Amino acid sequence: MESAISSLMVAAERGDAPASEALFAALYSELHRLAKRELARNGSGVSLSATTLLHEAYLDMAARDGPSFPDRARFMGYAARVMRGLVIDHARERHAQKRGGLFEITPLDTEVLENAVDHRELVQISDALDELVKVEPALAEVVDLKFFCGFSFVEIAAMREISERTVQRNWEKARIYLHRKIRPDLSL
Amino acid sequence: MSTLQPDRWQELSPYLDQALALAGDERKAWLAALEAANPTMAAEVRALLDEHLLLEKEGFLEKAPAAPQSAPGLAGQTVGPYTLISQIGQGGMGSVWLAERSDGRFERRVAVKFLNVALAGRGGEQRFKREGSILGRLAHEHIAELVDAGVSPAGQPYLVLEYVEGDHIDRYCDARMLDVEARLRLFLDVLVAVAHAHANLIVHRDIKPSNVLVSKDGRVKLLDFGIAKLLEGEGQDGSATVLTVEAGRAMTPEYATPEQVTGGPVTTATDVYALGVLLYVLLTGQHPAGSGAHSPADLVKAIVDTEPTRPSGIVSPTRANAEETTANAARRTTTPDKLSRLLRGDLDTIVAKALKKNPEERYASVTALADDLGRYLRHEPISARPDALGYRAAKFVRRNRGAVALVALVLIAVMAGVAGTLLQARTARRQRDLALRERDRATRVTEFMTRMFKVSDPSDARGNSVTAREILDKASNEIDTGLARDPETQAQMMSFMGNVYFSLGLYPRAESLLTHAVEIQRRVLGTKNRDTLVSMNDLGATLSAERRDAEAEKLQREALAIERVVLGPESPDTLSTMNRLANSVSAQNRWAEADPLYRETLMIRQRVLGPEAPDTLGSMDNLAWSLMAQHRFADAENLQRNALDIENRVQGTDDPNTLSSMNRLARILSLEGKYPEAEKEQRDALDIQRRVLGPDHPHTLRSMNNLLDILQREKHYQDAEEVASAMRDVQRRVLGPDHPDTARSTYNLACVAAVQGQSAKALSLLTEAVDHGLLPRLALGIEKDDDLKSLQGDRHFEALVARVKKRAAAAAAQKPQKG
Repeated sequence: MESAISSLMVAAERGDAPASEALFAALYSELHRLAKRELARNGSGVSLSATTLLHEAYLDMAARDGPSFPDRARFMGYAARVMRGLVIDHARERHAQKRGGLFEITPLDTEVLENAVDHRELVQISDALDELVKVEPALAEVVDLKFFCGFSFVEIAAMREISERTVQRNWEKARIYLHRKIRPDLSL
Repeated sequence: MSTLQPDRWQELSPYLDQALALAGDERKAWLAALEAANPTMAAEVRALLDEHLLLEKEGFLEKAPAAPQSAPGLAGQTVGPYTLISQIGQGGMGSVWLAERSDGRFERRVAVKFLNVALAGRGGEQRFKREGSILGRLAHEHIAELVDAGVSPAGQPYLVLEYVEGDHIDRYCDARMLDVEARLRLFLDVLVAVAHAHANLIVHRDIKPSNVLVSKDGRVKLLDFGIAKLLEGEGQDGSATVLTVEAGRAMTPEYATPEQVTGGPVTTATDVYALGVLLYVLLTGQHPAGSGAHSPADLVKAIVDTEPTRPSGIVSPTRANAEETTANAARRTTTPDKLSRLLRGDLDTIVAKALKKNPEERYASVTALADDLGRYLRHEPISARPDALGYRAAKFVRRNRGAVALVALVLIAVMAGVAGTLLQARTARRQRDLALRERDRATRVTEFMTRMFKVSDPSDARGNSVTAREILDKASNEIDTGLARDPETQAQMMSFMGNVYFSLGLYPRAESLLTHAVEIQRRVLGTKNRDTLVSMNDLGATLSAERRDAEAEKLQREALAIERVVLGPESPDTLSTMNRLANSVSAQNRWAEADPLYRETLMIRQRVLGPEAPDTLGSMDNLAWSLMAQHRFADAENLQRNALDIENRVQGTDDPNTLSSMNRLARILSLEGKYPEAEKEQRDALDIQRRVLGPDHPHTLRSMNNLLDILQREKHYQDAEEVASAMRDVQRRVLGPDHPDTARSTYNLACVAAVQGQSAKALSLLTEAVDHGLLPRLALGIEKDDDLKSLQGDRHFEALVARVKKRAAAAAAQKPQKG
């Protein structure tokens, strides 16, 4: 599996559909494994932030894969999509009240936890994002990076080498789009 | 309509981009204009914008999703004498739990903060507990008590803190619409608490609104005193990567002080600055680094270099932020004008003194700041003086500090890396002697750097006013003698520092260090050594950046000849040297000579890397451009189309390289005279850029300019006028009305009008361009511009030409004579 990630990524970028599914699966299991390892290291009940997990995953995999491994920005683009899947599965699992083996992926700010989005709505958001990818991929990516992974506008701007204003505008546009999709009955 | 069809969204998207980039009245005006032009579109955009405001208010998608209500693992468990009840918070440092004493000695609710930090062994644990207990002795009514500090059986450190129910101070003030005086009184309580801690030799280091809580009954409590220090001390062993990541996150850049950013010593003056920022926010509702978006680099620059706008200035409404300033003033139960008048004078002066970049110029103590605010509230004269004029000169020196701070960070990071990689790379060879030599070398590098950084020690005569740039300069000056006994390492350090200067754009210094490094390496290692070749190539790049292409060419030719032998003709390094050599040759307009070099690079890359590799595609693009420059348009077109096909397929249409290729193809087609095809290609590129980069992006504007050029060649003047005026609108908004690019668009509009025989319009546009920033070089050209031929002989036109010449002559006379 060593250099598999980089070559899968190259193939996925060429539009190879099976490769991109394999890439998704590989990254998913990698992130899952890392989350478990980190929890074991830190003791149970401690939660990880999605960003920490992604940074760790990158360092880990890049170290194993050597210089051919894609740069951080490119990696995050894929990993963010995978993280969305992980977060949603986690929310589903929690909803199902399954016991054992749970890990927590948490937001960044020291805010009191409230208004967490319902897992059904998460699934709707994810479906809408899958549509948005086809229409304006840049918008969908901002949502993955910010909402699902907790990256700030500043970090996203640096990663994508675009201005922070553009990131913010994309975020605002994406939010309008998603809202229209998941709550079409909204009266204004 | 409620749901959005993809097609419709594509149409709406660019309008939303424009609308969202505007605020307040500007947005209103823009909508009104759209209303007139396209009422259906305006109605839809308006509905989406209303929805946007609603979503903003409701915080749609602002809360991250996977937040657990309570992590099942810990509730009910005990930590020392405390039983955890529920999780109440979560941050970069770790999670926070509400807990109560379980041994029944007394009932008290506390907050238990688990820190995601790895402690280094037993010693680390003991130190953590010891320092925790020192902080625990800090008792004050306005400081949240640190009850206990311990380490769980699993080795995770935690802090037990007094549980405080309250709101961040800025939100508290806004929610209650406190006026300026009430805010100042509350702020004085904060100062009393910080002064108490300082008297006990404890610096907070991380004062920010979320660490200053106000309870419902208006009592101030400061959280996390000294905890930043507690964590920082642990970060030094660097054993866990989580720690490095989290430690970076733990620092709140918005509230960081110049000395924290530049790595200077942290003292009580650090807290004075952070309190100045807090005061600024409480008074104005804005951050001194300015509102809106900041990249980390911008923020560093703002903290270290930029003098903040005076509070009275920042609260005055401008066109762009009228809504925000009015709302901010309303939260202080006043109007922007009244608020500005209230802040002008003493409060401006007090805030400025707290926010001095140089710690020594700030208030000497928190008490001194509190005294001045007290005097202000009692209407007595304050002690701080407004800045004298002479002080402005000192600013000049400061201007470069931001860049410098960034370099310092890079320098420190890379220095550690240099020593590290040297060791790693070579030990892998399992040659014990070599490994030992490398270790000595790493030690020597460390010693050298330690000596360089010692100048920032406050005990040194100049105190903490040393900048990272000075350290870099000092290091590069002393490198000649500093490591003279180990020339190989010396050269490596020179090469490294040369690259730092290069990335700072300080090419002459980069050049001298790299030249020196190459000299030494040639002598000690020989020219066939890899390190020597790397330095030669870096020096070549520096020379190219200085536009000294002939010298760069000479060096690159030499490096290429060696690389062909040492690395082989197909090595990626050899190929990239060949590519850069071709660039140096073509930069001297010797395209025919560059051609075979580009061609050879391309052929080998196609074979070795494959026809779809990014470097191969880059070579195709370079060769196509070179063919175009040699007027071999058909070949250029053919090659560029091939490259573009692959790029479209492999990189996608939205990729910047694909877009450059589209632009290049349009250019080639236009030179071939195939205007309709050129126009189509250029418009396609432009559409994608508008969508992907947004309408204001410089690349989008460049494509518009290219399109304008094609349309003028096509003599499609009405289209040209449309494009030029759209361009000018964007430039006026983004760059300002007096920017040279804006002026050039106005000039283009004048040309379009002139060729259509609209002399009066052309003349007025031309005058506008000349008086609003048109570059002298272009202004002097209007006399001979073919597009303006119809104006020649016109009295007003001749007067304008005369004016331009007179102005240029005056400017030339003012310039110092060059020897």
